[in-house]
Amino acid sequence: MIDLFIGEFKRTWVQTLRYPSEVIGGVVILTAVFYGIFVGAQYMTGSSGGAFGDRLDAIVVGYVIWTLVVYIVNDIATNLQMEARTGTLEQVFLSPFGAPKVFLARAIASLTLRLLLILAVLAIIIAMTGSQIAFPPMLLLPLITLLLSAYGLAFFIGSFALVLKKVQQVLSMFQFVLFFLLATPTEDWTGPARLVANVLPILPSTGLLRDLMARNQSLDWDRWAIALLNGVIYFTIGTLLFRWAEGQAKRQGTLGSY
Amino acid sequence: MPSVSHSLSADLRSLPRFALVSEALNKSYGRGKQRFEAVRDVSLKIAPGEVLAFLGPNGAGKTTTIKMIAGLIRPDAGKVEIAGKDPHRNPQALQGVGAVLEGNRNLYWRLTPLENLEYFGVLRQMPRKLAKSRGMDLLKTFGLVERRNVAVQKLSRGMQQKIAIAVALIHQPHLLLLDEPTLGLDVEAGETVKQLVRQVAESGCAILLTTHQLSVAESLSDRVAIIREGRIITEQPTQALIRQFSKDAGYYIEIEGRLDTSRREAIASLGATVGDSYISYYPEAAASDSDKRLASATLYKILSILDPLPIVEIRQERANLTDIFLQLVKQ
Repeated sequence: MIDLFIGEFKRTWVQTLRYPSEVIGGVVILTAVFYGIFVGAQYMTGSSGGAFGDRLDAIVVGYVIWTLVVYIVNDIATNLQMEARTGTLEQVFLSPFGAPKVFLARAIASLTLRLLLILAVLAIIIAMTGSQIAFPPMLLLPLITLLLSAYGLAFFIGSFALVLKKVQQVLSMFQFVLFFLLATPTEDWTGPARLVANVLPILPSTGLLRDLMARNQSLDWDRWAIALLNGVIYFTIGTLLFRWAEGQAKRQGTLGSY
Repeated sequence: MPSVSHSLSADLRSLPRFALVSEALNKSYGRGKQRFEAVRDVSLKIAPGEVLAFLGPNGAGKTTTIKMIAGLIRPDAGKVEIAGKDPHRNPQALQGVGAVLEGNRNLYWRLTPLENLEYFGVLRQMPRKLAKSRGMDLLKTFGLVERRNVAVQKLSRGMQQKIAIAVALIHQPHLLLLDEPTLGLDVEAGETVKQLVRQVAESGCAILLTTHQLSVAESLSDRVAIIREGRIITEQPTQALIRQFSKDAGYYIEIEGRLDTSRREAIASLGATVGDSYISYYPEAAASDSDKRLASATLYKILSILDPLPIVEIRQERANLTDIFLQLVKQ
């Protein structure tokens, strides 16, 4: 399994770095989109410079989480579609490891690359806006629960890509849904809305990350337990659904189709 | 081309009598009036080192059968065993199979040949170092070692196909599935791939080959199975099939210059067709050994009449696989 992870890691890095213009383009686009949001927010509030206080930091954290989650959620489905088109997908399904293990190893390998990209974007944003985000070690805990939940969602959408094939439109729409959910400070919701925020994927973790990174608060263990449960449940559902979708695609004879 | 290399050897330890056993495979697509039976009761067995050419017109069910064998399409009924393991129940069975699938690139184009070999070796559960060293051995055997660090997309179609076959062999499978391996290749590259297939079979790997190039199937295969409308209509050793369809075949003799009138008349009286410089002799259908002896005796008489004229060519007009295939699928 370690060899598989290293193999996937190497494949992802080599494929990406062989065309560095794509990586640079990614950093530029992600930064430009954030700058657009930032300038728009300045215009709406009539303020300038660092007058947003910790709300600016919350926006930065929300944006960075959004880019990370969108990437993870799209990763498996996009890879499935791309590899079906290029004709390597069926070779991947010939692996004795089984598809869920291979795709999980792939997703984690590509995450390392993405995290570096996001750190670069984050550094540029901080330099541009003067944001003062904190990076306490405890942020790893809600980050792990966020990743569990996001990968659950990724397997969920990957399952649709395996069975239905054409999911590009859904993926595009989904980006905006995620943007709304992740940019909204759902951790401030109360009553039934709070319950909804706990049940929806990823949201319990984003609130905790905003608290830790933008508001300098300490980790709320009760809320983290909810985030952990949320992550484990979505991850389990996602992987189980993916297994079902693999079987379904094999029954339909459409595994390598696109 | 280097001789049979250790790098091609299939892992023959504890291999059962057959590398592949598929029994009564069935697959249908669609429902109701749209229902279409793609494969019906297809059973195939291949022994180690044997090449089975699996032939059929487009849409006959070849690719569906191959993908059911590889565990990529689930059969409605029937079973598959690769070296005794069912790929639909036990993913470890896939350690015994390598495949080059038709219409697929089968490779990552941004990676080099060696990177592809290492990656796919790991994907087939080989230790990374072993995958890399075996990858190098295969590149040497396939004459591609100098191109090991060039991105696959920059290589010729023939080289890409050779690498795809090398990738399919990286984990020393018992069974190699080749779906149209010479499609789109030029003559030289096609010949190279044919030689490789021979070497792989000699090393002990069983090969299931589909191709529309029937001369390729004829020269490579030990046995032929022909599928039509999802059903196997014949399966037998290639040479036996050719002999069966060549039973009533004639002889063709060509001489240098023109035949004189007396020889023409003498040969025509034996029942042969005579041209200016050639003779065609079609014996009556040989039902018994005595019929065969009579046919041979007549042939020798013709040759003695021709003596001492210089002979340019003499051959038995055997059926070839193309004729047989067309005859069978049109029935």
